[in-house]
Amino acid sequence: MPCLRLIDVDKSYKGEKILDRFNLQVNDGETLVIFGPSGGGKTVLLRMISGMIEPDAGRIMRDDDDITDLEPQYRNMGMAFQNFALFPHMTAFENIASPLRAHKKTNQEITTAVLSIAALLKIDHVLSHLPRALSNGQKQRTALARALVNAPSLLLLDDPLRNVDAKLRFEMRLELPRLLAQQGTTVIYVTQDYKEAMALADRIAVVRDGHIIQLANPQEIYHTPADVEVARLFGDPPINLFEIVPRKDNKTTLIDLAGHTIELKKAKAGLDRPCLLGLRPEVLSLAKKDTPRAIPITIEAKTPLNEKTVILAVTEQGQELLISRPSQEPDQVNERAYLTFEPEQALLFDQASGENLQNNLHQESSS
Amino acid sequence: MSDVILSLSHVDKFFGNPSVGVHAVQDFSMDVKRGEIIALLGSSGCGKTSTLRMIAGFESVSRGAIELNGRAIHTLPPAQRGVAMAFEGYALYPPLTVRDNIGFALRSAGTRDVAEQVTAVAKMLNIQDILDRYPSSISSGQQQRVSLARALIRKADLHLLDEPMGQLEPQLRTLLRGRIKHFMKAQGLSTILVTHDQTEAIALADRIAVMEGGILQQYDTAENIKNYPTNLFTGTFIGEPPMNVFNAAMRAHENRLQFHLNTETMLDYPANVFSDEVQSILRNVEQVIIGVRPYIVTRTQGQGLPVRVETNQWIGDQSLIITRLAEQTLVMIEHKQSTLRAGETITIELDPDHIHIFDAQNGKALVHGREHTS
Repeated sequence: MPCLRLIDVDKSYKGEKILDRFNLQVNDGETLVIFGPSGGGKTVLLRMISGMIEPDAGRIMRDDDDITDLEPQYRNMGMAFQNFALFPHMTAFENIASPLRAHKKTNQEITTAVLSIAALLKIDHVLSHLPRALSNGQKQRTALARALVNAPSLLLLDDPLRNVDAKLRFEMRLELPRLLAQQGTTVIYVTQDYKEAMALADRIAVVRDGHIIQLANPQEIYHTPADVEVARLFGDPPINLFEIVPRKDNKTTLIDLAGHTIELKKAKAGLDRPCLLGLRPEVLSLAKKDTPRAIPITIEAKTPLNEKTVILAVTEQGQELLISRPSQEPDQVNERAYLTFEPEQALLFDQASGENLQNNLHQESSS
Repeated sequence: MSDVILSLSHVDKFFGNPSVGVHAVQDFSMDVKRGEIIALLGSSGCGKTSTLRMIAGFESVSRGAIELNGRAIHTLPPAQRGVAMAFEGYALYPPLTVRDNIGFALRSAGTRDVAEQVTAVAKMLNIQDILDRYPSSISSGQQQRVSLARALIRKADLHLLDEPMGQLEPQLRTLLRGRIKHFMKAQGLSTILVTHDQTEAIALADRIAVMEGGILQQYDTAENIKNYPTNLFTGTFIGEPPMNVFNAAMRAHENRLQFHLNTETMLDYPANVFSDEVQSILRNVEQVIIGVRPYIVTRTQGQGLPVRVETNQWIGDQSLIITRLAEQTLVMIEHKQSTLRAGETITIELDPDHIHIFDAQNGKALVHGREHTS
């Protein structure tokens, strides 16, 4: 059941379209992540849902009610922002209690609710502190507690982990799903961090230039990105891209890559026009010995990254590529090695439009 | 020619009067070998930037000595120290183009192939397209790379880089790290970089100096800091996902060593998996903290410690499995997309070879795996 719908929403600032005929449906109980580069309209979208700004055109529906013209305080939504936005003259307790006071709850009810959410967020020991006496992490948790204390049926989180340090961001990324699940809240979560998006989302809406480029679960976004830009935004180290022109040979499709001819079994699209072959760093394998389809490379540098090793290598033609492998690696820099991959794991994009050509294939074959 | 290019001996930094002021850097000693890349790593206020500024000459040394390439430099003005720097704030010359900013020092030194060198370093840092623009018209991430390019192409005894990639988006950072490391090694640059980001330090540095509270906590390779942290601080600071930690009460029996995590759950090992020396240490402590890196947690079939899966976060090429063990969080990692679901109970085992045991009182490492720390 949809919890929230945006129907043909438009918003412009100074003649520039921020959101353009924007449609989105958020399902009851899901965590929907709005992901994209800055300036894509993410924050405007969230503010519009909360009622802080009005759309130029279109409707916002909550369950079956049109809330487009409803004042923010009547929308029953919780919000937390990247800059925390705590009241500086109030203690952490009073900050968390503020939405309840606005709803004229009794002191007893307020105390019970604040203590329970504070315990969940592990800030019960700092409730008497003013914001300036809190660490960034504690401020962040206080802002989250305030957003959650009213048990809102819809929670809007605008890049809430942006301004906390890496370690805490990581811890919160692990904790948040449990917290949100306990509350049973529907969540719209804005972030620019793809790991956060993948870790937290039931579905991800990739937003660019006021449009949704792709709306899918993390698995589909990663394995079948709508276009080359989506492929590039998800994954660290980023996907390797090679300029190729696929050609037909009998019943198979061939490409020339780094001086070698490789057979692409799946690809029937993109023939005889410039394409980009996308190879994620983790699908590439290295061998010490040459084999018929292997591409010789030289290892230039190795840089560990979160229990992986990222290898920077160059082909004989001087093309750079990144390879990632679990755990530490004994082999040497400046060593030659031979690169192989399963053609099924390659992605194919149209070079001009960036469109994922295999996505088309899947659609054609399924229809 | 000596193997050591830089040495700091018993360096202190006080801000204000030594008796009441801030003791920002305390009795800091460190040697850097020729051609080595060193990371000064710590969170803000740990003293890493003060240390860098003392080496550069922007801060006086309160006590102790700094030698660079055989010369005592700690009383020399910055320009006479023979160091090249890329600092936060960038300090680019506004009236000069990016190209001239990068080549300025080389040109002043009368270098011949300045144009080629500038193009090469600009290409390495993905700023070849903005060489004719002025600093005010480029983004902060680009300014940072210009500042880095200018430092990297200078000939100097030592290169100092302060948070060199802080402004860059993560994916670009991963690519540039590889290229920069390759460049520094090919040119044989001796480098100290300051960073709060352990990923950056592990990726680039031959050795890492971990600082906290003005004190050098550990100075070693990333590998050794990971496997043999001297204390709980370095153990939990290095590594993502971070080390899992559990408070435990030690119970030593004749044939078994048990770590009680709570009333129901314990880690139970035959005493003889540990060396005699380790056993005698463990038999003399009561409260310990157990450190377990996520990648050493292994799943077992049937036998083992039961843990409940709380979340399974797949981030493309890794799955982070967050579980509950003895009412505490235990994170494990799989290098593929895991099918585990929240609520499932699985069994795990913790290899005694790879657990770390710290003193619960002072956080000092007592034991790493089966071996004693020293």
